[in-house]
Amino acid sequence: MSQNILKRIANGDQAAVQDCLKTYGGLVWSLARRMLRNSDDAEDAVQEIFVDVWKNAGRFDESQSSETTYIAMIARRRLIDRIRFTQRRISADSIEDMLAEPARTGDADMQTLVEGREAFRALKGLRPEQQQVLQLSIVQGLSHQEISDATGMPLGTVKTHARRGLMQAREIMGVGNSSKEVSI
Amino acid sequence: MSSKLDERGLELLCDHTLFGVSDEELRELESLAPDALSGNDAVAFEFTAAQLSMINTDNAELPQHLFDKIVANSKQHVGVETNVFTAPRRDVIAEKQNSGAIWGWLGWAVAGAASIALAVNIFSPQSGTEVANLPKDPPVVEQKLTPLQLRQRLIDTEQAALRADWSKGTFKDSEGISGDVVWSDAKQTGYMRISGLPVNDKAKNQYQLWIFEDSKLEKFPKDGGVFDVDENGEVIIPIDAKIAVNNPKAFAITVEKPGGVVVSERGQIAGLAPVKPSQS
Repeated sequence: MSQNILKRIANGDQAAVQDCLKTYGGLVWSLARRMLRNSDDAEDAVQEIFVDVWKNAGRFDESQSSETTYIAMIARRRLIDRIRFTQRRISADSIEDMLAEPARTGDADMQTLVEGREAFRALKGLRPEQQQVLQLSIVQGLSHQEISDATGMPLGTVKTHARRGLMQAREIMGVGNSSKEVSI
Repeated sequence: MSSKLDERGLELLCDHTLFGVSDEELRELESLAPDALSGNDAVAFEFTAAQLSMINTDNAELPQHLFDKIVANSKQHVGVETNVFTAPRRDVIAEKQNSGAIWGWLGWAVAGAASIALAVNIFSPQSGTEVANLPKDPPVVEQKLTPLQLRQRLIDTEQAALRADWSKGTFKDSEGISGDVVWSDAKQTGYMRISGLPVNDKAKNQYQLWIFEDSKLEKFPKDGGVFDVDENGEVIIPIDAKIAVNNPKAFAITVEKPGGVVVSERGQIAGLAPVKPSQS
C-alpha cells in the first residue's frame, strides 16, 4: 500500500526508499522540472527534496493529508527556496497551456491524478484573474512582483487575487474544514 | 488552541504560503495571533497550495541515475530524525524536533523556503526548539536564533545573497557531500548547509573553509574559519570570515590539522561550491 510508505521509511525500512521513489519520484521530478526549467537544477533539487522526505517521514500524519500531498508540499517549499536564488523569468508557456485540462496520463500515480483533478476543479471555480495569479505563483513559483511584471496587474491586485483565490480554493477542496485543532 | 484569525490574519497567512512574508509582516501576524503559524489555517493553506501544485504534473519517470543516487544517499538519512548538529566553535544550537508537532516538522520541512521555518520556530511556543523563554511582549532585543533560523532570515531579507551548491572534492570520505552556501556581501554573513561530511576527530584534524574571490581559485583565498562535524546528518554552520569578503566566486572546504592553517596545501578538499556566474 503506497500510503504506508512514509511510515516504513520512518521505521528505517530501506526497501521503502525504492518504493517511495517509484511511487512519488515522478511527481517530484515533474514538479522540479516544471518550476526550475533546468535539468541540472532539477536533479539537485530532487535530491534535496528526498532528503527532506526521509527526515520528515515520521512526522507524516495521515489524518492531515495524503502522502502525495505531503510530499508535494515538501517539494514545493524546497523548490520555492531554489527559485528565490535564481534570476528566473516567466516561462514561455502560455497561460492557456498552463490552464489546460490535465491530460489523462495512463501511468500517472492514481492518487496524484485524483488530487490533481480535484485541485483543477477547484481552480476552475475561481475567477480567471485568480486562476492566473495562483498558477503563476504555485505552478511557476513566481513572486508577486514577477507576477505583476508579467501580467501588468498592480502589485496590490496580485496579492488580492492570490489571497482570495487560495482561500476560495481551500474552501472548494474542503481542506482543513475539520473543527479539531491540529495536534501539536 | 489556536486563535481565530481575522481577515487580515488570513491574508498574511496566504501571503506566507504563496510568497513568503517580511519580518515586519511576520511580527504583524504574530501580534494578531501568536500561534497563527501552528494553527489549522496555516496547515490548510500549505496543503491547498501543495494540491494545486499537482495540476498538470506529468509524472515522468525519475531518471535511473538520479534514482540510484538518491537511494545511495538515503542510507545516511533514513531513520535519522535529528537534522541539525553542533559545530562547537561556532556555538551552533542543536534543534530538538518534537516528533508529535506537525508544525515542528513543517517548520523543518520548509527550512529552506520562504520564511516559514523562521516564523514557526520563533513564534510557535510548542515547536520544541531550544529558542527558549519567549516573553509575552515582543522583545526589543532580538531573540537568539538557531543557525538554521539565521540562515533563513538571511535568505528572506537579502535579495542579493549568493548561493552555491556543494559538490565533491578530492577527499574520498566526503564524496556524498551536498547542501549549499548562502552568503551576503552586504552583511558579511553567510551559512553553510552541509550533508555528507564525515564526523572528524578533533584531535587529529578539523575542517576549514576557504573563500575565493577569483574564479581561477587564487593561491591565497580568504580564511572562512575552522569547524567540526560531530554527528552524521545535516549541519548548518555560520561562516566566520576573518577579513572582508567581496563578491566570492567559490567556497572550498579542506581537511586540515586542528586549528587550521594559514595557507592550505589543498591536499584533501572535502567540498567545493562554485558560485554560478549569473550570481557573481
